[in-house]
Amino acid sequence: MSEKTVLLQDTTAGSTTGTHDFFGIFKAALRESNLADTVRLVRVADMGIYNQGVVMTILPEDITYANVEPNDIKRIIGVTLKHGNPVKDLLYQPKFRQMRLVLKNCGRLDPSSIDEYIAADGYRALLKVVEQQTPEQVIADLTASGLRGRGGGGYSTGLKWKFTREAAGDEKYMICNADEGDPGAYMDRSVLEGNPHSVIEGMLLAGYAIGATQGFFYIRAEYPLAIERVQKAIDQARERGLLGSNVLGSDFSMEIEIRLGAGAFVCGEETALIASIEGKRGTPVPRPPYPSVKGLWGMPTCINNVETLANVAPIILHGAEWFSGIGTKTSKGTKVFAVTGKVRNSGLVEVPMGTTLRDIVFEIGGGIASGKAFKAVQTGGPSGGVIPEKYLDTPVDYDNLQKLGSIMGSGGMIVMDEDDCMVDIAKFYITFCVEESCGKCAPCRIGGYQIMHILNGITEGRGTLEDLDRLILISRAMKMGSLCGLGQTAANPIISTLTYFEDEYREHIVNHRCPAGKCKALLKFSIIRHLCKRCGLCERACPEKAISGDREHGYSIDADKCTHCGVCFDVCKFSAVERV
Amino acid sequence: MATMTAQDFDAIKESVQAGNKNWIKVGMSTCGIAAGASNTYRALEDELTNQGQTTVSLRTCGCLGMCHAEPLVEVCIEGLPRVVYCNVTEDCAREIVRGHVMGRKLLQDHILAMHYEEAFS
Repeated sequence: MSEKTVLLQDTTAGSTTGTHDFFGIFKAALRESNLADTVRLVRVADMGIYNQGVVMTILPEDITYANVEPNDIKRIIGVTLKHGNPVKDLLYQPKFRQMRLVLKNCGRLDPSSIDEYIAADGYRALLKVVEQQTPEQVIADLTASGLRGRGGGGYSTGLKWKFTREAAGDEKYMICNADEGDPGAYMDRSVLEGNPHSVIEGMLLAGYAIGATQGFFYIRAEYPLAIERVQKAIDQARERGLLGSNVLGSDFSMEIEIRLGAGAFVCGEETALIASIEGKRGTPVPRPPYPSVKGLWGMPTCINNVETLANVAPIILHGAEWFSGIGTKTSKGTKVFAVTGKVRNSGLVEVPMGTTLRDIVFEIGGGIASGKAFKAVQTGGPSGGVIPEKYLDTPVDYDNLQKLGSIMGSGGMIVMDEDDCMVDIAKFYITFCVEESCGKCAPCRIGGYQIMHILNGITEGRGTLEDLDRLILISRAMKMGSLCGLGQTAANPIISTLTYFEDEYREHIVNHRCPAGKCKALLKFSIIRHLCKRCGLCERACPEKAISGDREHGYSIDADKCTHCGVCFDVCKFSAVERV
Repeated sequence: MATMTAQDFDAIKESVQAGNKNWIKVGMSTCGIAAGASNTYRALEDELTNQGQTTVSLRTCGCLGMCHAEPLVEVCIEGLPRVVYCNVTEDCAREIVRGHVMGRKLLQDHILAMHYEEAFS
């Protein structure tokens, strides 16, 4: 009999104790069946499956069982370990799984080896198009695939290419937007660092389609490792004749260079990005004319995001039909999300469009790390909004998120629990936008500042109910009057938190209370005498010496000296410090 | 140099696939490095030398996307299942070389199981 491996974990217990008990029982059963030498029993750290009791995966068959009870062991040994067959009623039926298309080779390939990328069918799509397809055919394929821009806008990639191809110009430019700046989003960085050639191939394919002779990677300078790896990949590709003049012996010639972004969020906006590459101050200009008509140095220019470009080669290789078979009616393919915040498993998740938020947060993300109550998930960064619990079963695609007052954005997904204050979150994002606003147009420059000012007041107990109307008014003005996407969407976090969590705003204003305990200026601390054990820990810990008393008479907090830092609340072992 | 043809692509694929079947890969993107992957890499390198192990190649790769579990180390030794170890500290790295590579036993409590389908193969 061949050797087998059993990987197991008690996914409900949350500790290893349950696993240890089960491990012992299983081990004994293996000994009884004389399988102790041929079956490897291994406790794993994380099965990636949650709240399904004891879960085990048997290799090499790759059979996974969930909710296994000790009295199932006999059947598993008899049917699976001895004969390699599955025990049908124990099989784990996943509701869905991650689907890796963009991230497929990330973490598998050595990013510094072009050979490893080629061995994974890299640059095959490039070879295919230069040998067999006209640029028009490539554009038709992309349009038929239904691929939409992954940077946030969700515009059809095929159409963008078509317009750039059809625009008149002596020269055309292809730009890869790698100025990933949303707080909490780092999908593009991982792709650039983990599989740079996939993006370069996407750029070459795009360049071939639109007729570009020059490509630029616009990468933010905060990504030094990504820059290093992309540069190395460009050099390798040039060495192999995959970019430069006469790519793979064809008439198609294209150069690619890197341009660094100097850390301005607004430069992720197309026209500001173009200005930045031209060496000008990175501020947007009104559209139209769109960059596809008049872009870099006045020439037709196509700008695609990193993830969009990473999708291109697979589409060319496997066909538009294959790609459009994945996802929902209006949003095709997969989307990579950077799931962060209060979630147990923070990281990158790639799922087919149409997966529900609940599946992403609870099935893949493993739920809230602390076990506290889920409150909302924020998508789309500073241009997006929060989505509360009741909409968690919404299938994620461009249109559904927009209906909920958020956006797909580039893919940041921040999970929040009951300890997160929605007013504070809104304040965080608007402060970010105020700092990043280029200042060119008044609605964004002044509106953002006024919203920030009002939110500061609310979180410090100076808010009035009229402020809520004022917030909506300014938000609308910013949306309608701002020059670029930054200003037009900067108020989204305010509108969506007000829509779903107005109560929380009112609680701050009317009762001067922050339900999440986050807004420090509103917190009041006091010592509950009957719970206090008079240990004196809070007195010693208080950095402001606002706690006085002694072990005989007990302790009290001087409200005038207290700076609401919360150290006493955190150090008290007896929950004798009250925070309201 | 001569223009690459489809045959050249095939030849590269074959030679990569024919390469060493015994390897250890360390995720060395920004996220992994921030979690200490450089130290993990050095510990693996050092312990492989200590054990006189020269047939296993030590490689680097990008990020698998499981940030909460970094540093990640994937181990492929012929005859054993290919597994990913998570939260690989320097001690754990040495244990991987001693236990998994030399002792041919999978480490307890360090494996990260991953479930995803690949969109194409």
